[in-house]
Amino acid sequence: MTSADPTRGTYFITEDDLRALTGELLGAGTEVIAPVALDVCASPSAIASSACLRPGVKPIDIEYRALESAAQLNLGSGLPVLSLKQYFLPEYEALCCWRQHGTEIEIEAVPTEFAPRVVLAAKPCDSAALAVVDKVMNWDYADELWNGRREATTIVNLACPVVDESCFCTAVGTAPDDAKGADALLTPVEGGFLMEATTDKGRALVEAHAARFTAEEGAGGAGARGRQAAEERAAARARAAANLEIDAASVRDWIDTHFEDPLLAALGVRCNGCGACSSVCPTCHCFDIVDEEEGIGKGTRRRCWDTCQAPTFTLHASGHNPRDSQNPRYRQRINHKFAIYPLKFGEVLCTGCGRCTRVCHAGQDLVEILQAIDIAARRREAVSP
Amino acid sequence: MSDTVTTEVPVYAGVAELRRIARELLDAGDVRVIIGWEHARRGARPVFITDAADADRLIFDARCVHNLVTYLNPRRDNVAELGKIGLVVKGCDAKAVAGLLREAQLTRDDVVLIGVRCGGVLEEAELPRAAPLGPENVAPRCFGCDNREPELVDHLLGESQPEPPRPLTTIDERVAALDAQPLEKRWAFWTEQFGRCVRCYACRQVCPLCVCERCVAEKSRPQWIEASPHPRGNLSWNITRALHLAGRCVDCGECERFCPVGIPLSLVNRKLQQIVAERYDYAVSDDPEHAAPIGDYRLDDKQEFIK
Ligand code: SF4
Ligand code: SF4
Ligand code: SF4
Ligand code: SF4
Ligand code: SF4
Repeated sequence: MTSADPTRGTYFITEDDLRALTGELLGAGTEVIAPVALDVCASPSAIASSACLRPGVKPIDIEYRALESAAQLNLGSGLPVLSLKQYFLPEYEALCCWRQHGTEIEIEAVPTEFAPRVVLAAKPCDSAALAVVDKVMNWDYADELWNGRREATTIVNLACPVVDESCFCTAVGTAPDDAKGADALLTPVEGGFLMEATTDKGRALVEAHAARFTAEEGAGGAGARGRQAAEERAAARARAAANLEIDAASVRDWIDTHFEDPLLAALGVRCNGCGACSSVCPTCHCFDIVDEEEGIGKGTRRRCWDTCQAPTFTLHASGHNPRDSQNPRYRQRINHKFAIYPLKFGEVLCTGCGRCTRVCHAGQDLVEILQAIDIAARRREAVSP
Repeated sequence: MSDTVTTEVPVYAGVAELRRIARELLDAGDVRVIIGWEHARRGARPVFITDAADADRLIFDARCVHNLVTYLNPRRDNVAELGKIGLVVKGCDAKAVAGLLREAQLTRDDVVLIGVRCGGVLEEAELPRAAPLGPENVAPRCFGCDNREPELVDHLLGESQPEPPRPLTTIDERVAALDAQPLEKRWAFWTEQFGRCVRCYACRQVCPLCVCERCVAEKSRPQWIEASPHPRGNLSWNITRALHLAGRCVDCGECERFCPVGIPLSLVNRKLQQIVAERYDYAVSDDPEHAAPIGDYRLDDKQEFIK
């Protein structure tokens, strides 16, 4: 076995070597974030879970976590409950601290530089979401905290076999084997993984651990493993496409010109405005800024996740609320993701992960909604070409 | 698992009646919308029927876990503007209607209630078909339910149903298991649970009895509850939510079901129910005349904690 030549694109790595690489990163003090299978029944939560008493399958939660050991790295296909967003835009974070001295106010800034870290086995829909959100985070203002974390992080995706019938990444311009927003892509093959480094950061990771990789024979994936990877990736793409196919450009234009259409205007009737969909969504990025006092004359200004599904999101100080019921609020979710953002930034603000649909116990189903809009858009095109 | 999927589930006898009544109410103009359940791509979900021709979309089976009373919240303008509501309710849901009546959020004439005799529901609604209830899949709150044939209704459908099975562990057993732990262990349990809260407020939004115009969690001057989801803010949010529902919560389990991070809110709710029962001899019912302790002052209320 020869070590990898990092100038070439595709490498092979065994699972053992991938874990050893993870161990090397951890050993060097690098933070490694990856999916971890949390055994609900071994945690204090067990007391609350009847599933833990059920014979057979035990409930496992997949979550992205900072690894404590290489053994924790979960290379399965499960979708983490919360997306990778939390490591770039945490649920809450300090923007500054203040302390009052009489009439003077002392402001303590927060660091905007971050130690290098690595994400392993990221879901392609999660890394793609980071690339999409990069646009707004660098629009009229460059968000230092977001950009700082983005720069410090090397992301290695793991090609996804498609989780269930609510996945639709291929309908919104990404794919289960995309490396968008990431620096490398792992594809499971016989005996290990093929690793393609797609950015300098990805190549640097391979270079730093060159002994763990072998250069893959047959450039461009012509070898047996390359063919196996290509087949499985194509099959996964076909599975995602079977869930939903839309013409995102005509959906965008239809929404943009049909603000008052009953299809859009009455979408929120079963929606509770609970915002769970925004919490789990990798592309929802709205935040609120709050001042939290910690004793007298001092406190912290923090930002925390917010959602356009909450009435207070658009409540003016005057008491007026331009989005005064759940119908316009839910329309906003669709409009922002599939028309406003694509018109402004050229990208759909959705990577088709399906989390919003799965989490919604009121039965709002994005697959169904996009299908209906797509049909309406096609119908219009058929009438007025 | 395999036998629960393949076993035939008897069709709920009340469904034909439900569809007929829905059609009649809409045709006669007695209501403008029937809110019930339908079968959709991912399983059972709420449906809003405004055209009598669509009444056949209505279903009722063990997947119909949602408490649709949340749609009666007078602050749901987009539902209210549909016109008078005909609402399909299980017994626990009817208790929530009584709660709204008790608290003057609603008058009885605002809504036509179509009650269904209930034999318990599943833990999950998102299933391709209803499975027969067993200890491993029944919603734990259904065990021992005292209101499976609601009285506060205009129509009561179906036949009497068998009692829901006993779940693998009951909520009371779980509360007791927690209570048996030393204080530090309980503290560790709840700090871990609440630590996961992302403060989406799904638990509040879906609760049929969380009806405040402006939630205390949203007040910023003064700020009663810190808004960021750090452990301290989360603790004060979750305890406040639970306390504000003490003696009002109908145990429908919707808050827990909607929580995207799986916090076992029903354990806090049940603990408070137990305390309310013990101190005030009160259990929430579907009789709106039966005042809840929070809205009722009695000279013999225990007050030994006031020193
Ligand atoms: S769509 Fe569903 S998850 Fe999102 S706010 Fe509405 S009820 Fe909540
Ligand atoms: S809108 Fe839904 S499907 Fe799209 S990225 Fe967000 S959670 Fe995923
Ligand atoms: S709590 Fe009672 S009325 Fe409600 S679903 Fe369970 S058995 Fe039916
Ligand atoms: S607190 Fe939870 S269980 Fe109680 S009424 Fe509200 S949603 Fe239902
Ligand atoms: S639903 Fe769960 S995560 Fe959301 S605010 Fe309530 S307890 Fe927190």
